[in-house]
Amino acid sequence: MVETQEKIWVSGSPRLWFRHKSGARQCPGCHHPITERLIAEVVDEMGLENDIVLVTGIGCTSRAAGMFKFDAVLSAHGRPPDVATAIKRTLDGEPIVLTLQGDGDCISIGAGPFFNAVARAEKITVIMANNANYGTTGGQMAPTTLLGQITSTTPEGRTPHFGYPMHVPEMIAPLKGVAYAARGSVHTPANYQRTKKYLKTALQKQIDKVGFSFLEILSACPPDWHLNPVDSLKWIEDRMIPEFPLGEFKNVDKIE
Amino acid sequence: MARGKIVINEDFCRGCRLCEHFCKQGCIEIPRDRFSPQGYLLPVFAHPEKCNACGICGWMCPHFSIEVYKLVEKKDKVAA
Amino acid sequence: MVERILVQGNEAICLGAASAGCHAFFGYPITPQNEITEWFARELPKRGGVFVQSQSETGSINMLFGGAATGRRVMTSTSSPGWSLMQEGFSCLANAELPCVVVLVQRAGPGQGTTRHGQTDYTSATHGGGHGGYKNIVLAAATVPENYEFVQQAFHLADKYRNPVIVLTDAIIGQMAEPLELKALDFGSLPPKDWALGGKKRHADGQRRIISCGQGQVPIEPYTQYLYLMQELDKKFKAIQASEVKYETYKTEDAELAIVAYGSMARVSKEAVNAAREQGLKVGLLRPITLWPFPLQAVKDLASNGMKILVVEDSLGQMVEDVKLGVEGKGPVHFLGMLARHNPTDGGMILPGRILQEIKSLLL
Repeated sequence: MVETQEKIWVSGSPRLWFRHKSGARQCPGCHHPITERLIAEVVDEMGLENDIVLVTGIGCTSRAAGMFKFDAVLSAHGRPPDVATAIKRTLDGEPIVLTLQGDGDCISIGAGPFFNAVARAEKITVIMANNANYGTTGGQMAPTTLLGQITSTTPEGRTPHFGYPMHVPEMIAPLKGVAYAARGSVHTPANYQRTKKYLKTALQKQIDKVGFSFLEILSACPPDWHLNPVDSLKWIEDRMIPEFPLGEFKNVDKIE
Repeated sequence: MARGKIVINEDFCRGCRLCEHFCKQGCIEIPRDRFSPQGYLLPVFAHPEKCNACGICGWMCPHFSIEVYKLVEKKDKVAA
Repeated sequence: MVERILVQGNEAICLGAASAGCHAFFGYPITPQNEITEWFARELPKRGGVFVQSQSETGSINMLFGGAATGRRVMTSTSSPGWSLMQEGFSCLANAELPCVVVLVQRAGPGQGTTRHGQTDYTSATHGGGHGGYKNIVLAAATVPENYEFVQQAFHLADKYRNPVIVLTDAIIGQMAEPLELKALDFGSLPPKDWALGGKKRHADGQRRIISCGQGQVPIEPYTQYLYLMQELDKKFKAIQASEVKYETYKTEDAELAIVAYGSMARVSKEAVNAAREQGLKVGLLRPITLWPFPLQAVKDLASNGMKILVVEDSLGQMVEDVKLGVEGKGPVHFLGMLARHNPTDGGMILPGRILQEIKSLLL
């Protein structure tokens, strides 16, 4: 039969994603690789492939350092903002520096580096993938664990005895050095596209030399939530979003 | 005539079933008798005629196992 | 014409860094090295360089990681309590094979200890305070000119071996002033830093570069298996041990007793050696300059000649263990440490007279 049709690629593995022999070895239904796809598409669409350096911390986001066709650094737990600061400043502000960290990496062990990068108004972009637990190590409590959420170190569910979940973009939005703070998710196609726009805005703040930009992305972690991947989507919708509302909390073009 | 086509990489698929969940056209089914080399339940592109190349399964697959293509008529290259 | 100036030890460190083309300094305040951080804050931006005050020493060492990843010459400095905070960073720098210079201006420890002199960080500096069995090259300066020269050499060795290099001094050398000849030293050519990153456009082959502190675990090129990394590190450490040992001897040729001491204690010991010689006692001094790689062969040679060995260190006994290793049981190794300070305050010192007293008790 004569071939009368040709095919045009629409979606799947973006050009800047680096295909390893073993594929993306995350747990079934993990949302971190969806964020990786989002990053690969945004970097390509913004033409940043040759200028960008990605810095990852320790956790399930670590391996992202090897998953792209651009420069990347895998640094110690919690340290990406320090490493990013140095790469940006040592090269006189030229590269576009993006960090990809988990919630524990960013705001628990990484609280020192993170808040001080904000305090120094570093012109870097930080992505915090929030799955409300320490996933890599088996699902322990994290700063963003919800009240009542069962983790391996809160076996009866988190109670105020160990505090309350941290709302990072809301917390840093009032700080002067922050140019952009937003929260998105990738649990529906519409949210995927909206979060892509958020990342583009965040990176544009860096390109325009405005200030520190931050994007939290809610991420499913089915094994440690003890849910199947499809039910994890519902948990994000019904439990995470009421606690961590989506949207932009700060978006300024200039810091006076 | 089909307007879209997907190719499923059965080595990479981890049986999460998000593709079946998100496909609005009902193209993807999980027949429960196909397994990947690692033992994951595989989806199949059961109804290619319904595919409209929306791209959603490709965007939402966490394991880079689905490539989505839009099918268009080949342009006639012969000059009149 | 070479400029000759009178300068403080800490400032000599900065001048050495400037002569070596140090581009970025990341630091945090800690006594007794604040002059170093403050000099860089004033002077580096004027010279087109980069200064960042970090939020802690863990910040400094991780900023150093990032700066070193770009291939530029980068440095930090600290004192003993901050040094402790940096140990995880050193372990990561070792795995990622990043060149950088760290100046440790020792102060007596442990804990907050004192803000004054001491030599209580020998073991931590030479035998790896962090996990994983890595090695840092350690250069022990004893004078203000050595502060200046060793920092320059440190940058060269760091780039040559893709390894951190420590310049070890202490509060005394840091705070004293001595004349210094300003001369940039040339240690020879180095291979280009093909591995450095900062955006794909910087790479001639157009390929990505990855720097990782988890080489061997996350299978990214070139070390796709853990043992490949360890084989490479083993080769490197053995090469450094074979080629970079440095030490100085003083009147050891006919000596019956040799003092082994480094840094400021070497200078005090030299006074004691001179006093002993005036009294007809045959005493000499071996001053290790590289504390790692330690001059084990030089120590072994002294002991083989039947010489008595006296280690003088302002601690409870750290370098003495490496000296014993070098002596290989051929004879006793004696130790005079900080408990012999002339008074119990943090300003107390092991004085030449006390060392002479010890020499006499061993020889007479």
